[in-house]
Amino acid sequence: MIIHDKILGIVTLFYLLLFVVHVFYFATRKERVLSFIWAILYITFGLHTVGLLMRWFESYKLNMGHAPLSNFYESLIVYAWSISLIIIVLKKRLLYPVITAGLCLISLGLMAYASLSPSVVHTIQPLIPALQSNWLHIHVITCFLAYAAFAVSFLCGILSLLGWKNFVPPQENLEQINYTSIIIGFPMLSAGILTGAVWAHYAWGSYWSWDPKETWSLITWIIYALILHVRLMKDWQGKRMAFLSIAGFISVIFTYFGVNFILMGLHSYAT
Amino acid sequence: MSVTKNNEDNIIFSKIQQIKESAYRFITSIQFTIVLLSLIAVSSIAGTLIKQKAPVEEYLSLYPEGIYRIIQLFGLDDIYHAPWFYALLVLFAINLILCTLRRLSRLIKTKKRIILPEEDDLKNMPVSFTVNGKENQYVVRMLKRRYRATCEETQGAVFEKGRLSQYGSLIIHAGIIITLIGSLTGLLFGYKGFMVLRKGDVKDYLTTGGRHGKIQPLGFSIRCKDFAVTFYPGGEPKDYVTTVEIIENNKRIMEKPIRVNHPLSYRGLRFYQATYGNEANFLFTIGQERVTLREREVYRKGGLSLMVIRFERQIHDFGPGVLVAYLDREEPKTIWFLRDVQRLKEQKVAGIPISFNEVHEDFFTGLEVSRDPGVWIVWTGFASILFGLFANFFIYDRKIYLRNTADGILIAGTCKKNHERFSEEFARIEKEINRDNT
Repeated sequence: MIIHDKILGIVTLFYLLLFVVHVFYFATRKERVLSFIWAILYITFGLHTVGLLMRWFESYKLNMGHAPLSNFYESLIVYAWSISLIIIVLKKRLLYPVITAGLCLISLGLMAYASLSPSVVHTIQPLIPALQSNWLHIHVITCFLAYAAFAVSFLCGILSLLGWKNFVPPQENLEQINYTSIIIGFPMLSAGILTGAVWAHYAWGSYWSWDPKETWSLITWIIYALILHVRLMKDWQGKRMAFLSIAGFISVIFTYFGVNFILMGLHSYAT
Repeated sequence: MSVTKNNEDNIIFSKIQQIKESAYRFITSIQFTIVLLSLIAVSSIAGTLIKQKAPVEEYLSLYPEGIYRIIQLFGLDDIYHAPWFYALLVLFAINLILCTLRRLSRLIKTKKRIILPEEDDLKNMPVSFTVNGKENQYVVRMLKRRYRATCEETQGAVFEKGRLSQYGSLIIHAGIIITLIGSLTGLLFGYKGFMVLRKGDVKDYLTTGGRHGKIQPLGFSIRCKDFAVTFYPGGEPKDYVTTVEIIENNKRIMEKPIRVNHPLSYRGLRFYQATYGNEANFLFTIGQERVTLREREVYRKGGLSLMVIRFERQIHDFGPGVLVAYLDREEPKTIWFLRDVQRLKEQKVAGIPISFNEVHEDFFTGLEVSRDPGVWIVWTGFASILFGLFANFFIYDRKIYLRNTADGILIAGTCKKNHERFSEEFARIEKEINRDNT
């Protein structure tokens, strides 16, 4: 009955394994390890997908069938899944192991937090009436793909500031990866906000009600819009860009976690 | 004398002109956009940190009085509806409109002419190659498979793809402007209200929000035919449904359920399932009269004045009971009535026999009602934002030039972004053209 729990437990171990293999690569610098990393990554992503689908399937067995997108636990594992998906989508550009290592570490952290923290409810819960909508899927998926893409951008910002030799990719490539991830994240976030607004119109009676989560998503959106504009119009690069990417992601984190834990609002079922 | 005066006038005039021009330049500048967006972001953050629309007492318990004065002065207790916040949004809209118009005019100007560059210019382009031993017609046909020919002349031709991407940012910005216009329309011509209905109630008005709730006629009547809540086995609510009938000119127009996520739309009004609750009705016999009272409803007759101030579904094992407050010679007193205990079911209050006969618990449903004529404008804005984002980020503009030269057919290409992908595509095209077409 709780196969998904076991699968997701194994997936967590796989993220740990991925990180360890990355460390092994940095110690040995053998190119063969790299293809091994990608093989494990595909397996992990596949398993993760199966785990999510099993949870979906098992929720139907419990007579409350809904996609695993409804509570905090599910959002954490979907976030980790989205990060893996973004890694695979950007495979051609993410050829630097330090970036995949960082992303796997973030995924590991999310999975570990989801499964170990006692305050996170694991069980499949019934869907409250407000969440019973087809907009749920597209809204949550677009938002988390955006969050995942912004995690890549954040990592590029951090690496660019650290500037460790032998580890960090050349500045130019970092900026290119950073920009590419924002190009994916920004339209996704926009789609997430707009689908959310349409949904809010049907569920809450207003497409925009300045709910804390709505407001913070707008703030995040403004930050990334500014990043795109100063890059294009003012040719900002280097440190300034790195700081902006980090600021953007802090806003993402606040939109995701901060609003749930600190501010209360209409979105409070995600806690 | 008059000459110098004229000169001075001219200087002043040109000064004003200069100020006007630089002001215009600032208003239409990206700097101004950045400043405005940053201000909007910072005010929005403030709005999530300072409690919004709370009663005065709550602010005074949170902040010292001086700070509360500041909060009140700048409308920080309702930032998103403060005049200065609206002013920021209006300035942003103006800036956006002007920037968009400027970009549009620039696009129209550059669109006019597509010329075939000279041979040397073509050779200096990032990618180029020369074809030998192939028919011009054949090469053109091959290129037309993937690209659109925008200019064809005897010396050569220009092919283009992904031109739409040039309009991407324009479409996004237009979408934002449309969205803002839509929300302004809603703000000016829309309203929001509330409606509480018990089973069987008919209402032809709603109560608009705000501190002084106003009555707003609907123009038709709505009757609550039924209300039902279903629960999951664990006890969490699964669904709440209000079944309503719309009645117009004494005719039943339709019957529809209203559920969360599935509002009812009629004559530009939308009815949303917002809340529900239950309410107890108490059936008494006071003297000889049968009376139905709700909690806190006052009954007054002759010298008797009473009301139910508390209701308990179960008092120990004795079933439901109500606490009734009454006035005995201007002195307030209370007395418990228990339905299932004969001695406490019928009692005398101020000399009048009262019997507590029954409790009926009825659900009531809370419907949120709104009229927003701007919502379709907002949806149009959303659609164009999404379309513009797609055009801007997932399509890219590139051109391929073909020119007949002494060495053969020269083919060259340029693009503004996605150089890597373009070189790959260009290499594929080169391969395709050079393949033997036998």
